[in-house]
Amino acid sequence: MKRTLGIGLAVVLLVGVVTAVVLGQGSGEQARLQTVRGVIGSEKLAFFADQRVKDVFAKHGLVVEVDPAGSRQIATATDLNSYDFAFPSSAPAAEKIQRDRKAARTYAPFSSPMVIATFDPVVGLLTKAGVVKSGPGYQTFDVQAYLELAAKGTRWDQLPGNTAYPARKNLLVTTTDPRDSNSAAMYLAITSFVANSGVVSSQDAEAKVLPAVSKLFLDQGYTQSSTEGPFEDYLSAGMGKTPLVLAYEAQFVDRVVRGDSSVRPDMKLLYPAPTVLSKHTLVPLREAGDRVGQLLQSDAELGRLAATFGFRTADPRHFNDVVEEKDLTVPQTIVDVVEPPAHETLERMLEAIAKQY
Amino acid sequence: MIRRLIPAAAVVALLAGCSDSTDPARPVGDAAPGTLRVLAGSELADLQPILDEAAKATGISVKFSFTGTVEGAEKVASGAAEQGFDAVWFSSNRYLELVPEAQKRLSTPAKVMSSPVVLGLPAAKVRELGWDTKRVGWAEIAEAAGAQKFTYGMTDPSASNSGFSALVGVAAALSGSGSALDAARIDAVAPQLKQFFSAQKLSAGSSGWLSEAYQRRAQDPGARVDGLINYESVLLSMPQPLTLVYPSDGVVTADYPLTLLTSASSEAREAHRKLSDHLRSADVQRKIMETTHRRPAVPQVQLDGKFATKDLVELPFPGSQSAVDGLITTYFDQLRRPSRTLYVLDTSGSMQGDRIDGLRQALTGLTGADESLAGRFSRFHGREQVTLLPFSSSAQPALKYEVPQNDPRPVLDQIRATATNLDASGGTAIYSSLRGGYDVLRQQIDADPNRFTSIVLMTDGENTGSEGITDFQLFHLSLPPDLKSIPIFPVLFGESAAAEMEQVAKMSGGKVFDARSRSLSAAFKEIRGYQ
Repeated sequence: MKRTLGIGLAVVLLVGVVTAVVLGQGSGEQARLQTVRGVIGSEKLAFFADQRVKDVFAKHGLVVEVDPAGSRQIATATDLNSYDFAFPSSAPAAEKIQRDRKAARTYAPFSSPMVIATFDPVVGLLTKAGVVKSGPGYQTFDVQAYLELAAKGTRWDQLPGNTAYPARKNLLVTTTDPRDSNSAAMYLAITSFVANSGVVSSQDAEAKVLPAVSKLFLDQGYTQSSTEGPFEDYLSAGMGKTPLVLAYEAQFVDRVVRGDSSVRPDMKLLYPAPTVLSKHTLVPLREAGDRVGQLLQSDAELGRLAATFGFRTADPRHFNDVVEEKDLTVPQTIVDVVEPPAHETLERMLEAIAKQY
Repeated sequence: MIRRLIPAAAVVALLAGCSDSTDPARPVGDAAPGTLRVLAGSELADLQPILDEAAKATGISVKFSFTGTVEGAEKVASGAAEQGFDAVWFSSNRYLELVPEAQKRLSTPAKVMSSPVVLGLPAAKVRELGWDTKRVGWAEIAEAAGAQKFTYGMTDPSASNSGFSALVGVAAALSGSGSALDAARIDAVAPQLKQFFSAQKLSAGSSGWLSEAYQRRAQDPGARVDGLINYESVLLSMPQPLTLVYPSDGVVTADYPLTLLTSASSEAREAHRKLSDHLRSADVQRKIMETTHRRPAVPQVQLDGKFATKDLVELPFPGSQSAVDGLITTYFDQLRRPSRTLYVLDTSGSMQGDRIDGLRQALTGLTGADESLAGRFSRFHGREQVTLLPFSSSAQPALKYEVPQNDPRPVLDQIRATATNLDASGGTAIYSSLRGGYDVLRQQIDADPNRFTSIVLMTDGENTGSEGITDFQLFHLSLPPDLKSIPIFPVLFGESAAAEMEQVAKMSGGKVFDARSRSLSAAFKEIRGYQ
């Protein structure tokens, strides 16, 4: 999520020797665990660090060591030679790695849609303003209507009849820094799709949408570089500071599952229409990495565990079980999902925005 | 305030090895297990009791070294911070993150607490302004300030984060566009900003000194300042309670991220994680709220009643270093009340050699020769009146300059030439020379009373003149209020008579700066925050 999280900070996940010994007893021979190294988007760090996850890998003879890094960094700046797999948080980044490394296949074991977290009074306001709509069983954030307001530089206090949040600042979704963060890139994927009425796939289209989408970032001024930053502000500083924040659905679900009372009843999730999925895509670089991909894709226990971290899983039952068990108000299926642009297109647009700071 | 100052003083004493001559910004030693070496903003000093308890609970102790916002960013950007520190801890990472070379050296941040920068005024003043019954925005505040309906003190934006946040906040709010500032928007709101800053009667290089000076001046009708712009936490801990004015259009909030450097060792990384977890636990968060009056950083802890306004709108912060640097430069050269600065400089025989060289360099640095970030902001500003008064056995003629707002270079060059030609010989007639300085100031004040006026007194030894400190004290007592309230900032150097200099600072409401264990340049630069 954050480019500056250096690759150097190896997070070594060592599986308990106990497990190995236990496994070894049945066959009578010394159980040998194979170490597999991966570089991953930092939002999956907690998952790989979880003891239950390590135990499942050990059962299959693997110790998985991971280094966290920003997804864009994994695709462009990281020396991948020392890794068995790369596991960025977005499909465009994975696509580039697969092409560069000529990987035969990829795995997309879990995903999380981009959402907008907000508060009840703001939902009321934006419903009147035609930005929030009741969708198919959940509330949506109409990106087209939002872009129209943002293009005019609309301030909160200019919304008619606004007594709930009459702030004298622009109506803008708080995002992370487009120069650093995957979630900001995903936001660009959404907004550029709407501004272009379709996936941006030519340089003409890029030029056409850039003024409108750049403004969404530049008008915010300073933005934080890690997705945790604005989401934490949303949770702790509340509506005054962060009335609308772009987040991964998994961040919100993870907090609810933890049950640490950080998510209060007036906090609401909106699904952008359209939205994109942050598709956590594993690119095997060597045979051992491929096994990790297979396990994440097919092992039911790993699927269940991933769902408790808020990820939607390849087998939707795992996520749906968590939704039911925790009584979450998130939709089982999201209908209005579009594809992000190709990696090169997305990078070029991000570069163009970065230059305007 | 008293409660805040005691731990601060204790920490400084500890860092300085019980001598007040050591630079508080010096490195804190080599890496050691169980120690996190932190380059920090000085306002973190009041957290010491919390950190002492944290050390007991986690086995991790924090070693602080203090520095200013801009200087800190410079140390991180240049890589100097990585040489002696594992982490940085300022009131905000915003400025750091705007400097690309600094941003890439920052690793995991852990926000520990928060405090907005707001205006504090006596309750009677708030009633008089009619602000007790309605919330006001920055535009109304600026208008009242422009009409001189109240006065206030604020820290120097380039030296201290509270002044910096206030500057960004008021500029963002007045621009009225609701989006982040850029150079064009700053120019557009300059007239309103100028109004707002016309009521600023007190400046300081640190939040702590600002509060002290405010309290001291409260005793003196001629020098009294109505209010302060400072952190909510500082204003809530003042001994005489102030009513806090939370501008309805928003504030800029410090969020105190304890931030690991990417260069940190794995031990330091682990220490940072442990300490952050501890500081962000609910009980510690509650304790921080109770003892330091800062708001908790985790949603599990409810705000208590002393925080009158809960949901504060956060104003947008500029997205580029050039916008921020431009705003600070504009503040100095165009917006703030201009300064009048008198330098009374010892050029006696004992200054020969390295010392006079050091003095030449210190002055030359302020003419723009110091190209560091902090150096650029501390140069003599547009519209500033600078007077150099060299003395030895007696005072030499005063050399007066006024730096133009638009093309400062030629005048800065003249000051530089004068500084380069300073020579050392003769005796040390400190007090008659200092007294002579007031004649110069009296004329200047009569011609133009509306300026920040201050005196820097630099001497490297005992007074050899016929007038002593007692004579000066009598003279000072006899001064009219406008001259008496001019702060004197003595600089200790060489064999300075420290006790006498302390007295001079005290009687004038000034502050002593020590250049015995660091360069004169560093001391002169630090004083700029108070001029």
